[in-house]
Amino acid sequence: MHKVWVVVRREFVERVRSRWFWLMALVGPLFFGAVFILPTVLAGGGGVKDIVVVDATAGPLGRRITDSLNAGRVFAAVRVPVGGRVLDSLTSEVERKHLSGFLIVTDAAVDSGRAEYRGSNVSGFATVRTLERVVGEAVTAARLERAGVDPRVVAAARIPIRLATQRIAGGTAKGETAGQSFSLAYFMGIILYTAILLYGINVMSSVLEEKTTRIVEVLVSSLRPFQLMMGKVLGVGAVSILQFLIWGIGARLLLARRASPLAASDAMSADEVFQVPHVSGATLAIFMAYFLGGFFLYSAMFAAVGAMSSTEQEARQAQQPVAWLLVLSFVSMFAMLNDPNSTLAVTLSLVPLSSPIAMPVRWAAGSIPGYEIALSLVILAVSIVGVTWMAARIYRVGILMTGKRPNIKELVRWIRTA
Amino acid sequence: MTSPAPLLTLDRVSKRFAGHTAVHELSLSVPGGVVYGLLGPNGAGKTTTIRMIMDILQPDAGVVRLFSQPSGGRTHSERIGYLPEERGLYRKMRVRDVLVFLAELKGMDRRLARDRAGEWLERLGLTEWAIRRIDELSKGMQQKVQFISTVLHDPDLVILDEPFSGLDPVNTQTMKDIVLDLHRRGKTILFSTHIMEQAEKLCDQLCIIARGRKLVDGTLSDIKRTHGGHHLVVGFDSNTGGAAQVFADKALVSKVDNYGQYAELELAAGADAQQILTALVVSGARLSRFELQEASLHKIFIDLVGPDATRTEVAPVHA
Repeated sequence: MHKVWVVVRREFVERVRSRWFWLMALVGPLFFGAVFILPTVLAGGGGVKDIVVVDATAGPLGRRITDSLNAGRVFAAVRVPVGGRVLDSLTSEVERKHLSGFLIVTDAAVDSGRAEYRGSNVSGFATVRTLERVVGEAVTAARLERAGVDPRVVAAARIPIRLATQRIAGGTAKGETAGQSFSLAYFMGIILYTAILLYGINVMSSVLEEKTTRIVEVLVSSLRPFQLMMGKVLGVGAVSILQFLIWGIGARLLLARRASPLAASDAMSADEVFQVPHVSGATLAIFMAYFLGGFFLYSAMFAAVGAMSSTEQEARQAQQPVAWLLVLSFVSMFAMLNDPNSTLAVTLSLVPLSSPIAMPVRWAAGSIPGYEIALSLVILAVSIVGVTWMAARIYRVGILMTGKRPNIKELVRWIRTA
Repeated sequence: MTSPAPLLTLDRVSKRFAGHTAVHELSLSVPGGVVYGLLGPNGAGKTTTIRMIMDILQPDAGVVRLFSQPSGGRTHSERIGYLPEERGLYRKMRVRDVLVFLAELKGMDRRLARDRAGEWLERLGLTEWAIRRIDELSKGMQQKVQFISTVLHDPDLVILDEPFSGLDPVNTQTMKDIVLDLHRRGKTILFSTHIMEQAEKLCDQLCIIARGRKLVDGTLSDIKRTHGGHHLVVGFDSNTGGAAQVFADKALVSKVDNYGQYAELELAAGADAQQILTALVVSGARLSRFELQEASLHKIFIDLVGPDATRTEVAPVHA
């Protein structure tokens, strides 16, 4: 056991001493922050959009729409009566990027609910949604007035709805908004994916280094290959825990300092899709349990990949199947976010190769029965033992092999006979 | 010289790899305190044998005994120093850290390893490099660090696989000095080589293997006596007389390399050098040199191993 400890300590000390580690400690949060915030920024389109409302109505509908567009923060709208070659000149304005787009409103809109928007970026999610909401409200008001409702009553009836969603877990409402749950799940998914991949590849290159420098021969004459592999995995795992601690403490300090000005300012200004979630102890425990589980599972595979390769290039190629397993679990996260209790989501959170990402994501996105978590963890633990056993056999043969990379048939023989 | 219980024995050890036999029923015995040479051409199975001794590979059959126990090198790693044929160190680690790490893996106390590393680095003139990274060192210096890592924990048995390959003359000397110093201090050294001159200078005992099988083993002097044959060198002073006829007599000479003014002869079985001398004088040859020589290890080796020694037995591969 002492020898395993010596290996763990070397892996840990050498890594923590490296510039790479401290770069990650600093740049990591920036990276995650960017991944986290970028989609919102991109979806929001950044800044105010100049648009023109082409008013083909006889009544006040066009004016109303223009006013309420200008009341929001997304658009700066100008009303232009329809006529002549107005559409052509507006089109060329859009092409010259002087305008984001223009909205065509006709009287028919009141009956059909249809309006037309032509713009350079029609697919902008936030743009279209805001336009729909504004036009919809104006049309509703117009219809009500047409039916004889007092315009003042209509105005008074137009109360903006803000749905307060609370997640129920363990029989109590947690006081988290849907937005918070979503962003927590999204955030955890990204960190889990990145960290498992990153540290798994760390284990791989460490194995490869010992193999290519041939120092492994001296090592395995002093301790068993399995001890060496375990020491390596545990050492890199310890580095990852330290990295998380640094990030966690850093985030805590930052959030604590930011909390007061944030509360004072308009809470709305924090974007509505991504919100800083409340992270409970249970969530942290789930996160760490599945991170470590996933890390052990995948790093055993990465260790085997390192052992069966002779050069960096070979390893880069050979690690692709393993990395793809991880990518697949990551991508399926988006399906799970929509419906955390779908059959797909439940299956993915039980299958050991995907559960390290799927289960924490589901946990953050919705409530999960305790037995499911227990079952998923048991399956994961058993798989870790099985995969490590196989990986260790490949590792044992592979680290002393030079030359050609083994094919699947040879690998199976290594596992059977090692 | 031979102690009652050998330090290391191999008892009919075999190792097969997919398709060929690397080592076949090899038995040998290394007494304590000797310098033991494991000789053979490339591909003879030397490295495989050493790896089995070191527990890096498991024999398919046979037993390795170390320090009178039926267990391989890993169990005794604190008493064994091992220098593999292909060498390397962690490139990004500091010299002293590498040395301490490897010594700790052999079971040495951390602080002691640190002190000992300092002493060795000083002895080999590397003190100012102790906290430099390995990849900042020249190749020669890296080799020195590797020697240190082999002997830092003061092992009783040192196993060196082709220790002189790739060394510059200065480091070859350093290596020899280290080996001889260990020998003086009563340590046992097992080393493999295919360079016979080195073996001849360093070994007390040796074993020659080829194609995974043992050809001969024993002390250097015994082997020379039994396998040396009778080797005769004859030099002529201008007149060779009827020497050629004498050399052609199969009853006296089994093999000859005749260079005209100089010839190397192999005596035929049962022939006496004195008979040849008489025959030469009678034939009218004027001799400037007549010398009965002990065969060099190199020659014994070539005679035993034969020209096709590096060929390995390849059996059809079974899927």
